Amino acid sequence: MFSLLQIEWLKIKKYPAFWAMLIIVLLTYPAANLMFYNVYLDITTQKGTQMLAKMFLGNPFAFPETWHTVAYISSFFVILPSILVIMLVTNEYQYKTQRQNVIDGWTRGQFMASKLMDVLIVSGITTILYTLVAIGFSVYASTFDASKIWEQAYYIGLFFLQTFAQLSIAFLLGYLIKKAFIALGIFLFYYLIVENIATGYIRMKAEKIGGDLGRFLPFEISDRMIIAPAFIGRFGKDIKTAYEKSLAEVPSQIALSLLLTTAIWVLCFFLHRKKDL
Amino acid sequence: MHPILSITGVSKNYGKLTALDGVSFEVPAGAVFGILGPNGSGKTTLLSIILDVLHADTGKFSWFGNTPQTNNRKQIGSLLETPNFYHYLSAVDNLKITQAISGRGNSADIDRVLEIVKLSERKKSKFSSYSLGMKQRLAIGAALLGNPDVLVFDEPTNGLDPVGIAEIRDLIQSLAAAGKTIIMASHLLDEVEKVCTHVAILKKGTLLTAGPVDEVLAQEDIVEIAASNNDALQTIVETMGGFSKIKKHANCLQLFYPIGTAQLDGINKYCFDKGITLQQLQLKKKSLETKFFELTND
Repeated sequence: MFSLLQIEWLKIKKYPAFWAMLIIVLLTYPAANLMFYNVYLDITTQKGTQMLAKMFLGNPFAFPETWHTVAYISSFFVILPSILVIMLVTNEYQYKTQRQNVIDGWTRGQFMASKLMDVLIVSGITTILYTLVAIGFSVYASTFDASKIWEQAYYIGLFFLQTFAQLSIAFLLGYLIKKAFIALGIFLFYYLIVENIATGYIRMKAEKIGGDLGRFLPFEISDRMIIAPAFIGRFGKDIKTAYEKSLAEVPSQIALSLLLTTAIWVLCFFLHRKKDL
Repeated sequence: MHPILSITGVSKNYGKLTALDGVSFEVPAGAVFGILGPNGSGKTTLLSIILDVLHADTGKFSWFGNTPQTNNRKQIGSLLETPNFYHYLSAVDNLKITQAISGRGNSADIDRVLEIVKLSERKKSKFSSYSLGMKQRLAIGAALLGNPDVLVFDEPTNGLDPVGIAEIRDLIQSLAAAGKTIIMASHLLDEVEKVCTHVAILKKGTLLTAGPVDEVLAQEDIVEIAASNNDALQTIVETMGGFSKIKKHANCLQLFYPIGTAQLDGINKYCFDKGITLQQLQLKKKSLETKFFELTND
């Protein structure tokens, strides 16, 4: 496994798109969180409502809430590493190196394991960036309280799992479609448009179809592992109820994410073993 | 001694198209084995199967007397169809990946093979900046990493200029002289005839013949004769008998005999006794090109 990791690193470390993605993520995560932080500052510094707002909102960028808030905001940008993952798998088809790697001695299983490594590497790096941004914001936005650092640090694990689950879907698309632009087009169209419309529509029809089945859509499955931060649920009774319901569904969403992600990789390993390269 | 490669009844279909139909042959150790055939005859499909890129529908193959195993491929330097490398990496970085996957060679060896294929000066350039010939040479260099005992080359001279073709021919000859087993698919019959010890000829997925070059070519003796009047010579020779057919060829006649039955002194004496003095009398080996067209033309 370690040698697979080393070989994948040889492929990735001089790939310009990898560094471009890293820089964009490095800029996007802090920028997006900064934007939300400024909104929070605006609300909590308005004369007359500042005490009330602070009471409702708390400080979502202080430990331990920062883990949750930053994870939620950063998770909107999984599209950036997804593009990289699609490029990494479609490159292997474009360059025919998926054949060459096997000709040179890998089994088909080893090739697929190496791609799994790629997705793990990208998920890991993204999670590290998220962790640094969450810590950075807490230090920047609040009085640092070391005793609360680890209180909700399980969001690091959830963020990693969510990123890995969603990048695995991106990988599957790239693997099946093989052409970078077509795969990217379908991915963006589905991720940004189709699933959002479907989620909204299903939510609207929830009563008729026996519940909010949108939570079973491919990206929603893992999206709902990290629900909107707690302060959002503190406005109004209905939203609070919905928040608590979403919170109660988190364990089953984690289980579903693990199930879907495992199924994706089992399918990829199976197909790669059976098909001609 | 086990053959290096043994192929038994390998078939492959793409829908209704039969790419390979029950192909069987063996490649002995130390052979330079040419696989010939027109476009679409199944050469690359066959090489893809023995390198585990394609699955055979039926039949089996074994390297080194074993059933297919990953480690077998690691011992084989291969160039299949096109040079396949990461376009954004340099020659050295690409070879590092080949080396890491196959376990063949080390960093000093990368410099050695780049020297052999004359890419040392451009070793740090990106693969995408290479010409077709340079890409092909890098692929040959990758196959040479670790100095493997068995090499598989699919059209190794593709994209090379005449000097490059001659260099690769010399390289293959020197590898053969060093005792390497080389399996090579090629369109270039002249090249194959110059370097191969064994040959297999495929047509539309069917193996037409396989074996040592001398045996494949020498199924007939061809005697070329000429006199001042070839028409008179033909009239006389037709009464002689013993040969299977007679054919006019350029400025001579060709007499085809079953292998090992042509008697040059007897032909000479017969003609002389009939009043014709031969100006040319020669036992010819059939060229691979002649044999190839004979077998593959409908």
